Amino acid sequence: MTGRVNIRELILGILLEINKEGQYSHIAIRGTLDKYQYLEKTERAFITRVCEGTQENQIRIDYIINYFSKVKVEKMKPLIRELLRSSVYQLIYMDNVPDSAVCNEAVKLARKKGFYNLTGFVNGVLRGIARDYKKIPFPGRENKVEYLSVTYSMPVWLVVRFMDQFGFENTEKMLQASMEERPVTVRIKEYLTDREQVIQSLKKEGVKVEKAPYADNAYYLSGYDYLPALTAFRMGNIQVQDVSSMLAGEAANPQKGSFVIDLCAAPGGKSLCVADKMRGTGMVDSRDVSEKKADLIRENVERMGMANISVSVHDATVFDHESVEKADLVLADVPCSGLGVMGKKTDIKYKITPGKQEELVELQRKILEQAACYVKPGGILLYSTCTVCREENLENVLWFTREYPYKLESIDDFLCEELRSETTKQGYLQLLPGVHKCDGFFLARLRRIE
Amino acid sequence: MALRNIRTQGDSILTKKCRKVEAMTPKLKELIEDMFETMYDAYGVGLAAPQVGVLKQIVVIDTTGEDPHVLINPEIIETSGTQTGDEGCLSLPGMSGTVTRPNYVKVRALNEDMEEYELEGTELLARAICHETDHLQGKMYTELVEGELRRNSYEEDEE
Repeated sequence: MTGRVNIRELILGILLEINKEGQYSHIAIRGTLDKYQYLEKTERAFITRVCEGTQENQIRIDYIINYFSKVKVEKMKPLIRELLRSSVYQLIYMDNVPDSAVCNEAVKLARKKGFYNLTGFVNGVLRGIARDYKKIPFPGRENKVEYLSVTYSMPVWLVVRFMDQFGFENTEKMLQASMEERPVTVRIKEYLTDREQVIQSLKKEGVKVEKAPYADNAYYLSGYDYLPALTAFRMGNIQVQDVSSMLAGEAANPQKGSFVIDLCAAPGGKSLCVADKMRGTGMVDSRDVSEKKADLIRENVERMGMANISVSVHDATVFDHESVEKADLVLADVPCSGLGVMGKKTDIKYKITPGKQEELVELQRKILEQAACYVKPGGILLYSTCTVCREENLENVLWFTREYPYKLESIDDFLCEELRSETTKQGYLQLLPGVHKCDGFFLARLRRIE
Repeated sequence: MALRNIRTQGDSILTKKCRKVEAMTPKLKELIEDMFETMYDAYGVGLAAPQVGVLKQIVVIDTTGEDPHVLINPEIIETSGTQTGDEGCLSLPGMSGTVTRPNYVKVRALNEDMEEYELEGTELLARAICHETDHLQGKMYTELVEGELRRNSYEEDEE
């Protein structure tokens, strides 16, 4: 018979799946919530909050545990490690959970999992932290790297790399922003759509609608329960998309009647944006590597009712004869380390390593090599990523212009005053969370020389 | 110890009557250990041998996580009161239904060492004893559900 599920045991299972088995946090959380669908809404929210919060603040939490425990976090048994981490998260970040409950539940769980001899240890460490948390000497600002790493739970190698590239202050702004909750941004469709009417329909359903910066038809939505239930969503008037990604559509500046290839299109945000800008004319050939991803695009295209997009499965690293010099515009929004959206995906910062990043750069260049062939002479290639690392961004673009007959072209005409700078005049834009009011994102506009 | 596969509804073994256990064997001891492990792993509070494909009258129950019981050849000898509430079964994942059960149950069974003992339970423990002993007779709780069997649905905020 099924019984009362121990919520904290589920949390422990999820964290072990993420940190021991290398699962992505959102997949591990979703998998467990799917399996225990009968849980109450508040219990589901508790699981999500503790798992994400423990992940997001892991380095800071480990610092706290190490201050109170003789056995360092890295030396602990995985189960005890995750048990302590998730308990410390509840002690420090969740006011509505009594400290004594956190300690008792952790001890009970350790016992249930067979660690009888460690219950005293778990109890001691947690009660110590509950009592003396305020006395912990955290690294001060003068100790730049350690300060940023512990304050914002960012791996040291990334802190060093960010500081090299952006300096201490901008790095801190960016890391701070990555810890903050950000509202959902949508693009309101332009073609055959009355924007005012859409906004009114949203407001009528109790949604708070605010203008988002940088892009004309970008809006923040909040105060709703379930986005897919909103009329404007079901009618295909809005598409969830960060402003930064909309700017890629702006900088691409597609002309009516163009043939466009979107190489890594799922879930289809940029394809839809470009198709919308062409007012239903021309054709967007929207591709991604798997049937599953293609389905994601199809779902959105269908809902948004765009007839000038065709979706197909194609691996962007594989050369496609049919497409040679066919496209007026190619969008290459390549797979990347995702460090521009680490606020939304809490485990990105721990999963990426210098080695993995090198592999990504290789993959990105391979896709660019194919993309280079598909653009008509005189046509446009728009390169973009949702990361902030120079290696995956500017360095790739500079390599590309050395190897292929392309030159960077100013994007000032397509951007609002606020975003124009020395680099946008040259043809590229690096957006940083916290510095700009959107996700971290990179885009470059390249024209094929005739 | 090992996890065993939990049979799900549709598997004919769940509709068959189980044989009495005549003597304890090392193999059965292992089965009991595996049943506990399988039950805990699935976050269950009770599991009957046919649910792991063995047609023997063996049940494991632990409704609190700290109170394990083995019931061999169990026989309910006394019940009283009623309770009506939600019930679910590891052989029917993701579903639940409303079932009325006695609120108090006394059961006579053999323990792991084949010694006779009696166990009394109220509320969840009483419900679990009834639910699991039914399995040994090839009965599922679905036969007792009042109204509809429910899919445990939920809504999620999507990005």
